[in-house]
Amino acid sequence: MADREDPILVLARNGDRAAFARLVEANYDMFYRVAYRHVGNRQDAEDVAQEVCVRLGKAIRSFRGDCSLSSWLYRLVVNASCDHHRRTRRAREARESFAAEPLSACPDEAANEAAERLWEAVRMLPEKTRQAVVLVYSEGLSHARAAEALDCSEATVSWHVHDAKKKLKAILAAPEGAIHA
Amino acid sequence: MLDDVEDLLRAARTPAPSAEAKASAIAAAMTAYDRDSEKNPASTQGQHAANRLLGETLRTGRTIMKKWLMAGTAVTAALAAGYVGAGLQTRPMGLGTPTAQIETMASAPGTSGGNGAVTMDSHGPAVLRSAASPDEAVSVMMGPAREIAPYPSPVMDRMPLFEDRDRIKEIATGGLKSVAAEPVSTFSADVDTASYALVRSQLNMGRLPHPDTVRVEELVNYFPYDWPLAESAGEPFRPTVTVAPSPWTEGRKLMHVAIKGYDVVPEERPRSNLVFLVDVSGSMNTPDKLPLLKNAFRMLVSALAPEDTVAIVTYAGQAGTVLEPTPARDRDAILHAIDSLQAGGSTAGEAGIRAAYRLANAAFVEGGVNRVMLATDGDFNVGQTSDDDLKRLVEKNRESGVYLSVLGFGRGNYNDQLMQALAQNGNGTAAYIDSLAEAQKALVDEAFSTMFTIAADVKLQVEFNPAAVSEYRLVGYETRALAREDFANDRVDAGDVGSGHSVTAIYEITPKGSPAEMFGELRYGRKDAAGDAADASEYAHLSIRYKLPGEDKSRLIARPVTPDDEVADIGEASADVRFSVAVASFGQKLREVPALAGYPWSAVREMAAGARGEDPFGYRSGFLTLVSLAESLDRTR
Repeated sequence: MADREDPILVLARNGDRAAFARLVEANYDMFYRVAYRHVGNRQDAEDVAQEVCVRLGKAIRSFRGDCSLSSWLYRLVVNASCDHHRRTRRAREARESFAAEPLSACPDEAANEAAERLWEAVRMLPEKTRQAVVLVYSEGLSHARAAEALDCSEATVSWHVHDAKKKLKAILAAPEGAIHA
Repeated sequence: MLDDVEDLLRAARTPAPSAEAKASAIAAAMTAYDRDSEKNPASTQGQHAANRLLGETLRTGRTIMKKWLMAGTAVTAALAAGYVGAGLQTRPMGLGTPTAQIETMASAPGTSGGNGAVTMDSHGPAVLRSAASPDEAVSVMMGPAREIAPYPSPVMDRMPLFEDRDRIKEIATGGLKSVAAEPVSTFSADVDTASYALVRSQLNMGRLPHPDTVRVEELVNYFPYDWPLAESAGEPFRPTVTVAPSPWTEGRKLMHVAIKGYDVVPEERPRSNLVFLVDVSGSMNTPDKLPLLKNAFRMLVSALAPEDTVAIVTYAGQAGTVLEPTPARDRDAILHAIDSLQAGGSTAGEAGIRAAYRLANAAFVEGGVNRVMLATDGDFNVGQTSDDDLKRLVEKNRESGVYLSVLGFGRGNYNDQLMQALAQNGNGTAAYIDSLAEAQKALVDEAFSTMFTIAADVKLQVEFNPAAVSEYRLVGYETRALAREDFANDRVDAGDVGSGHSVTAIYEITPKGSPAEMFGELRYGRKDAAGDAADASEYAHLSIRYKLPGEDKSRLIARPVTPDDEVADIGEASADVRFSVAVASFGQKLREVPALAGYPWSAVREMAAGARGEDPFGYRSGFLTLVSLAESLDRTR
């Protein structure tokens, strides 16, 4: 979307603190949501969201509008989430090798247990695939917009989504508890 | 059963983020945003003036923070913000009238065309509310923020903003000084160690600290060293000087100057009987509250003497004694109790404060320090009793010798009036804690308020001999630089040194004629600089000025630095010298000092590992862990 430059963005880029505060405030929930889908629990998601806020504060002045603001923000949060994922991978693997417990939210946090289990599986998918699934299914972006946010072609997003569905279907078809095993 | 994968993925719901997390994330974003504006060199023009004032201004800032408790409200905050700006004597911002502030805002949107300003105004109040605290609110009103101190965030203290300017300046000059142009280096002693705690907490969180938050001299001074002591309080220091080849640059040398304050005989320190009264209500569950408080208490516990006692009482829902008075010798039990603190429930302050006094009286130390330290975010619900009854309780205990200190955490609904009243009646102080650095100050200083200054206004001056040294670079002390003429001026104040404090300063020097020289020879004036050739037997002349407590006139200690102080290899220097050099390397690498870009982390670790010495408190082993952490974080950057 070649949208007109958001006045808030222009102000924030020019050093207007109030405008920047509004920009962060308005997007925080999205940061948190995307992070949550990547990391699977509230606390880590809050950490990632905060990290995104900090990166945004550092980078806003250098945003030159090569893509839409929302795509750029999605890119920030996707990258921060994956950084977090990578950073914690070693600790996670160690934990998993000791106790094969699901890392996901406790049941009362998750409204739909089956859905949560599926998302747990999404988090095991390769990074690029995971990113595409989060943007398309959790954020409801079109493949084209997800492609802009992920800085790849629309066909690549479609391929990742297709691949993810195939793998997830296999998991769904597997007996209950297979993911937990 | 076999729902479509897509539907199922879409069906998942995300639990809501906590309001606190959101608020703290926004505050962190604002800090980052402000810092980014600071980085813009255009905005730092003309702000280097009065370098030495920076330290003083910071100290004033701290005092003001404490006073917040006394008066609270946005008005005080506004004054504080104004004072910090004015204290810098750079760009007095003049708080002005509300109209002036609105004009600032209104002038900013110019670039966007009209409607931006309108929307912003209509949303202004919402922004203010999300910013939560009075001084944030003020900064928001002020529009462009570069004149204002940054937001406290869980991981950053207030200081970096000021240091940014120094850093920019340092990069501009490369930090390297030519002896021909500036033969004299003057700075104030600094025994602060706050930066180390900050760096450590950052690394432990898996992040490299921001280069500007790293103050190398504070890292170095954090560790206890066994520098030779002066004999008596009459002459409080004896400088120890070591010259050794620089590990950082081929062809340069290090000139390592260490002084240690005359130490009081340990028996003179009174015993402490401390009761931590901790608010663990639900509202304390944000990173800048309970977790910060726990870290602060841990720092305090490690500073206690073995026979000092600590007790912990919590209040939330119902008051509970977490730890009976326990000698600090039993450190594990205390640390375990601190670790077990968890936030949850509402607040029952009065029951807690009574329980705390009961314990303090039970472990009362005649002639010692008896103190209840109340840590809260101000949601202090006093139960059935009125505020007046509570004040009387505090007053009564003060008379019997148990003092109350109030430590405020977090921002927002701080019940300042009550806290102020409690602290005043308790003869204690109130401190507002927004960072570990502040906690260190408020807690540790408080617990040892009897600890005394042995020398005030301690200044160091080194005059290099141009016949032997062509260039020098002082490691750290960027915020402590003094003008050359201020050295002998007793009206210019400087840092104080307490009993047992040590101050270490390291210069990297380039010997005359070394291939490492960066400055070219001057065509004129060479003869003058060289003086008579015999002078080359001295590297430099070190002078220390200090005042004994209560005296107005400074005294002088001076000595030359000669080849007698020199060792042929850094490995021959004492373990303390090597360890402090390793810490200085660590700090400079974190600060991204260009001179150390090629010096590997492994060399830092090796030097520190070989210089651990006895390390009875494990500080030095802890440092090794941090070096490894920094190394791996640096790799992934």
